[in-house]
Amino acid sequence: MQSNAALEYDYSVAKLFTYTTILFGIIGMLVGTLIAAQLAFPQLNYLIGEYGTFSRLRPLHTDVVVYGFMLSGIWATFYYVGQRVLKVSMAESKFLMFMGKFHFYLYFVGALIAVVTLLLGITTSKEYAEFEWPIDLVVVVIWVSWGISLFGLIGIRREKSLYISMWYYIAAFLGVAMLYLFNNMEVPTYFVSGGIGSIMHSVSMYAGTNDALVQWWFGHNAVGFVFTVAIIAMIYYFLPKESGQAVYSYKLSLLSFWGLMFVYLWAGGHHLIWSTVPDWMQTMGSVFSVVLILPSWGSAINMLLTMKGEWNQLTENPLIKLMVLASTFYMLSTIEGPIQSIKSVNAIAHFTDWIPGHVHDGVLGWVVFMIMAALFHMAPRMFKREIYSKKLIEIQFWIQTTAIVLYFTSMWIAGITQGMMWRAVDEYGNLMYSFIDTVAILHPYYVIRAVSGVLYLAGFLLFAYNMVKTMTSSKAISEEPTNKTPMAA
Amino acid sequence: MFHWLEKNPFFFAVGVFLVIVFAGLIEILPNFAEASRPIAGLKPYTVLELAGKEVYKKDNCIACHSQLIRPFKSETDRYGQYSLSGEYAYDRPFLWGSKRTGPDLHRVGNYRTTDWHENHMWEPQSVVPQSIMPAYKHHFTNMADIDTAYAEAVTVKKLFATPYDAPNGTPLGTHEEAKAAALEEAKAITANMKNQDVKDAVANGQIPEIVALIAYMNRLK
Amino acid sequence: MELRELQGYAYFFMTIFLVVMLYGYIIHLYRSEKKGEKDYEKYGNIALDDEIDSKPIEKNPKLSKEKEGANK
Repeated sequence: MQSNAALEYDYSVAKLFTYTTILFGIIGMLVGTLIAAQLAFPQLNYLIGEYGTFSRLRPLHTDVVVYGFMLSGIWATFYYVGQRVLKVSMAESKFLMFMGKFHFYLYFVGALIAVVTLLLGITTSKEYAEFEWPIDLVVVVIWVSWGISLFGLIGIRREKSLYISMWYYIAAFLGVAMLYLFNNMEVPTYFVSGGIGSIMHSVSMYAGTNDALVQWWFGHNAVGFVFTVAIIAMIYYFLPKESGQAVYSYKLSLLSFWGLMFVYLWAGGHHLIWSTVPDWMQTMGSVFSVVLILPSWGSAINMLLTMKGEWNQLTENPLIKLMVLASTFYMLSTIEGPIQSIKSVNAIAHFTDWIPGHVHDGVLGWVVFMIMAALFHMAPRMFKREIYSKKLIEIQFWIQTTAIVLYFTSMWIAGITQGMMWRAVDEYGNLMYSFIDTVAILHPYYVIRAVSGVLYLAGFLLFAYNMVKTMTSSKAISEEPTNKTPMAA
Repeated sequence: MFHWLEKNPFFFAVGVFLVIVFAGLIEILPNFAEASRPIAGLKPYTVLELAGKEVYKKDNCIACHSQLIRPFKSETDRYGQYSLSGEYAYDRPFLWGSKRTGPDLHRVGNYRTTDWHENHMWEPQSVVPQSIMPAYKHHFTNMADIDTAYAEAVTVKKLFATPYDAPNGTPLGTHEEAKAAALEEAKAITANMKNQDVKDAVANGQIPEIVALIAYMNRLK
Repeated sequence: MELRELQGYAYFFMTIFLVVMLYGYIIHLYRSEKKGEKDYEKYGNIALDDEIDSKPIEKNPKLSKEKEGANK
């Protein structure tokens, strides 16, 4: 421990992850916008030869956004919030400092390799688990290094009780670790066959229906633990801190936590309704998805009630606006999901554009807004400068909110239209539409969705610009702000 | 007790883990033995078909096509008999997909021909004018990876007792035998194709991706 | 006993157990607050008062003396 200089929180790792959050956010959303446009204008498939088709780029979009942008955001906030709620600085432990940096650099290299392999078509073709076995091994090491940082920091804490955000970070760590490991159980064929073929290739240890079960147990929950659990960790810290209001009910937050943990993992079966998995599992997935409304809304309502009597902040502080909209969208998508899990609704909704519509309610409205608000809150404290422009945040807010509304309305209509057309029969009981009829009719909605993608990306570029300006050329501040984040008009 | 748990991060983590692992233990594990039984008469994929499945995975066809026919009249009318669990017993990984931007393909081999696929993969709009599917012309020039497909067959035979070289099963043999068999199979397919480059390649002992992919598509019944 | 049956029982009793625990937890939270043993709401302040040299809500007893108060 140093003797003279006052001890301060050390944000060097949080800063590194902040950079990658912005970088991967731009890449992921750019690819997303491109593939949205490809569905409306198929000529766009041929921009970069065989590497630029919709099918090749789609996993790149999902993986860069989930594992690039979101994980970076989660880790940026963890290396910031973790120190503060435990009241311990990373500067106090050389080992933890090393682990934090090791975690970041390995992650960055791993992410780059993953991007290249996906472009080359080296994939297991399991959604959100596309990485082949060597990358999976790297992912395990990355995850373990986060675990060491997480529990290491907890080990040297001054605050005895763990704040609720830490609970959620721990849960996200454990949940994803378990699910990722089980879903990626695979055998490299090169070694078993005695050195024949590609060394990158592997074969899943599960076949057919079992593979589907494990995959959606993973797909729903691992991604859910990233989209939900880790983002709740953020809002439980940043909303109270930014507004100066303690969580409305700490007890409710504890209850919602255990409720969420207990119920969440059962709901994965709702991805497999009407498939060949046993009927009782489909029913179970459906029922638990509906039960899941309770703990989800428990957290969301708790957040909104935290603002009780302080709603004036909504107009004064754009970060509060971002976070309140985020929790509103969280409520919207956690009621929409269970509706889609009801068997009769699922019969129409499954396989249609309503599903990406639902996902994007949650990610565009809840996840991205929350991560942006968190980074805006952290930036003046990490870089000792005020936010470059409040006005830009306002503009960005409205552009992106418009984009989200365009996205989900067009996809709702597209999904339900297509679902109804697939099953439409004439008076003799014959199918009324050929498949291509149900594709052609979606063109206007795909155009609207592409426009919404362009708008959302534009908003995100404004965010990136604002952040870069804040880091480099905004007015310096002498003292760390307590609650409200300082920003220039 | 609860309070103690909140102060002890290690036991807290164990508690969280138990609660989240519970669903998997009870729901997923016990089902394994049952769901992986093949239906009667199901044969493992040939090496060429496996190579075609790799092309299907490589270009990530599941982004737009499902392989799961749900038990509704509107689906069985459009695609054929609804899918059964045992039909997927040799699918590692499963390729059900989650989105139908294009139609289901689980029984595409029943109603599409080699010739149709050849035209369609070269220029989808030549067969389905309003199609939004991209052309996959690189399948006609890239070569399928027969070696890796053979390695996969050997692996599943060894580790998961997939019935290769078994009575009524699919013959596999040695690496050389398997390569020769794949080439024979490829020749049978190119007999129904018109692209001269593809025909020449197969005549020279090479197998373009399109041939493997069509072998796989025709197998889906 | 058949596997399916075992699965059913395991599911049933584990669910009952977890539901009981969850309700027990609710009762515990409110009862300990009523009796004055424990004020859960004070933990909400961990997020608000989070300077490195601010006083922890509850000090970690495992810490060595020298590290106890940062900058003090």
